[in-house]
Amino acid sequence: MSDVPFIEVDNLYFSRGDSEIFRGVNMTIPHGKVTAIMGPSGTGKTTLLKLIGGQLTPDKGRVLIDGDDVHRLSRKALFTLRKRMGMLFQSGALFSDLDVYENVAFPLRVHTDLPDAMIRDLVLLKLQAVGLRGARHLTPAELSGGMARRVALARAVALDPELILYDEPFVGQDPISMGVLVQLIKRLNQALNLTSVVVSHDIKETLTIADYLYFISEGHVVAHGTPADLDVNQDARVKQFIHGEPDGPVPFHYPAAQFYQDMLGDTATRGGA
Amino acid sequence: MKRSRSMEFGVGLFILVGILGLVFLGLRVSGLTFSGASNTYQLEANFSNIGGLKPRARVSMAGVTVGRVESIELDTEWYDARVTLSLTNELEGQISRDATAAILTSGLLGEQYVGLSMGGDPETLEEGDTIRDTQSALVLEELIQQFISNMATN
Amino acid sequence: MSMKGGQVAMRITRLGRRSCDLVESLGRAGVFLAQSAVGIPSAEGFRLWVRQLHFVGVLSLAIVLVSGLFIGMVLALQGYTILVDFGAEDALGQMVALSLLRELAPVVAALLFAGRAGSALTAEIGLMKATEQLTSMEMIGVDPLRRVVAPRFWAGVVALPILTVGFSVVGIWGGYLVGVEWLGVFEGSYWSNMQASVAFINDIGNGMVKSIVFAVVVTWIAVFQGYDLLPTSEGISRATTRTVVYSSLAVLGLDFVLTAVMFGGL
Repeated sequence: MSDVPFIEVDNLYFSRGDSEIFRGVNMTIPHGKVTAIMGPSGTGKTTLLKLIGGQLTPDKGRVLIDGDDVHRLSRKALFTLRKRMGMLFQSGALFSDLDVYENVAFPLRVHTDLPDAMIRDLVLLKLQAVGLRGARHLTPAELSGGMARRVALARAVALDPELILYDEPFVGQDPISMGVLVQLIKRLNQALNLTSVVVSHDIKETLTIADYLYFISEGHVVAHGTPADLDVNQDARVKQFIHGEPDGPVPFHYPAAQFYQDMLGDTATRGGA
Repeated sequence: MKRSRSMEFGVGLFILVGILGLVFLGLRVSGLTFSGASNTYQLEANFSNIGGLKPRARVSMAGVTVGRVESIELDTEWYDARVTLSLTNELEGQISRDATAAILTSGLLGEQYVGLSMGGDPETLEEGDTIRDTQSALVLEELIQQFISNMATN
Repeated sequence: MSMKGGQVAMRITRLGRRSCDLVESLGRAGVFLAQSAVGIPSAEGFRLWVRQLHFVGVLSLAIVLVSGLFIGMVLALQGYTILVDFGAEDALGQMVALSLLRELAPVVAALLFAGRAGSALTAEIGLMKATEQLTSMEMIGVDPLRRVVAPRFWAGVVALPILTVGFSVVGIWGGYLVGVEWLGVFEGSYWSNMQASVAFINDIGNGMVKSIVFAVVVTWIAVFQGYDLLPTSEGISRATTRTVVYSSLAVLGLDFVLTAVMFGGL
């Protein structure tokens, strides 16, 4: 890759309780591109985003964002770094006590000393970009899931960040709002020259927007490359995932005793006794 | 905006209610007066037994409350109790030198208080003086003992 | 035999682990309190504080005042039937006022506050955590301890003493209604006996100190349980229950300790 790396994930180890979630993850996320992190559910993709955002601390390894080791920064420096990041949460995570307008204005109010008139202009601009300028007086409870996610997107880009982290942006959306979101992410990335990291398991949508893909399974990066590369990847795990096959290296069955034994074993012992 | 104004009004009212309530408790319930310590003067009295007298107990004269018991301590010279009384200023220079102080009980089970009664001496007690003529608290056990020993001698 | 030994060892291990967990969560709660309670006040913080004071204070006023009225009335009724046997019904005012100021107002107001405001605080913060609002706030670069927890904490600390004062005032008035207006205790002796026996610093002041201590403890438990809970619907309901149970126990236990120190001559 000739691109300048914006985020470097270096030999990351992380465990929660007794279960190891990451065992040596390495990643390079280029500047100004959309990078997708994919993998089956339960592989800790959201955890990876939280590690990048500095909300969790790894057991070993480091995460560099634009040269800064996220987990070595002081609390203050970390919060300063976060002003340059936006994050879109799975649920939208809008503040339920504020209306749509105030939600988008929130980062501007806390991080800038702009006069109210200018904040208003900026907020309306961002809401216009996601097509919800007319919904500014609604409360989060009155929004549909897709609308909430668009408002959250407007809020995430309110401060014109350099990096946006998307946590499962397509989950639970109807096809129309899914298409809207795909378009928005693509457009925003081009228009603002953002670096985007998308965590998702929706293959079709992710393949259309991602410039580069990482595939995580069992705590490692098992494959990476452009969408075209991964499509022809011969790794069984990747193949199963990309082509949506129900059974393969990721088993359909939760680990269990042999079916025959489980069904008949009980009766057999009872009969014997 | 209108909603937030009425909310702020409610909160202001709430705090005001708290302050007024505290003022009510102070003035009406604990009988606090704004003219506090400067309006009293102190006398002392030694009792051989104070029974159940407590600091802050009432001091009365002819049944009218005229002050409070300020403090009670053991006088290590005579091994009796020295009680400091603080009385209202109106009585300063009025109580005669031979006035008596007695520890009395209000009702059968009531609290104990100090009762003052006037003497006839034209000279009066000043701030910090000691009332000489005192009468200790009646201790029930002693009374009973006396009664029994009287019965025995009869 | 060896199995029994193994079980005992397991029990001891479990007990040890539980104690360690307890100490750890106490430490976490302490750090949490220090991080959220200490901060530079700002105009924005004041606005948020007023809003929370409205929520935990003004909206709890009705239930606290009504309870205070009834408790004052019951005290007068019960006190009268006891005192009248000794011909001491004049001491009714003193009895009502002292029981309210020293004990009942701080304790009952704190228990009501834990049920009404504490549980709501836990549920609200818990829901904000479950819907990732706290995390997203952190990602925007705003400390949720300062923005969400601190105003709620300080609102609780201010609200409960005010509610306690209200409780006492209304209770004493309720005692007056029953004792003087209904049972015919002489009005003058109701008030004068009260004034003769209630000391501002010793009774009202100590009652207020109790109430401030309870306010800190109850609000602390409430916001910490909300912040520390498992972000699921079951986690929220459990944390809400824990808030009420822990607060009530803490209030009653601390009340004993404080009473012993203040009035027990320790």
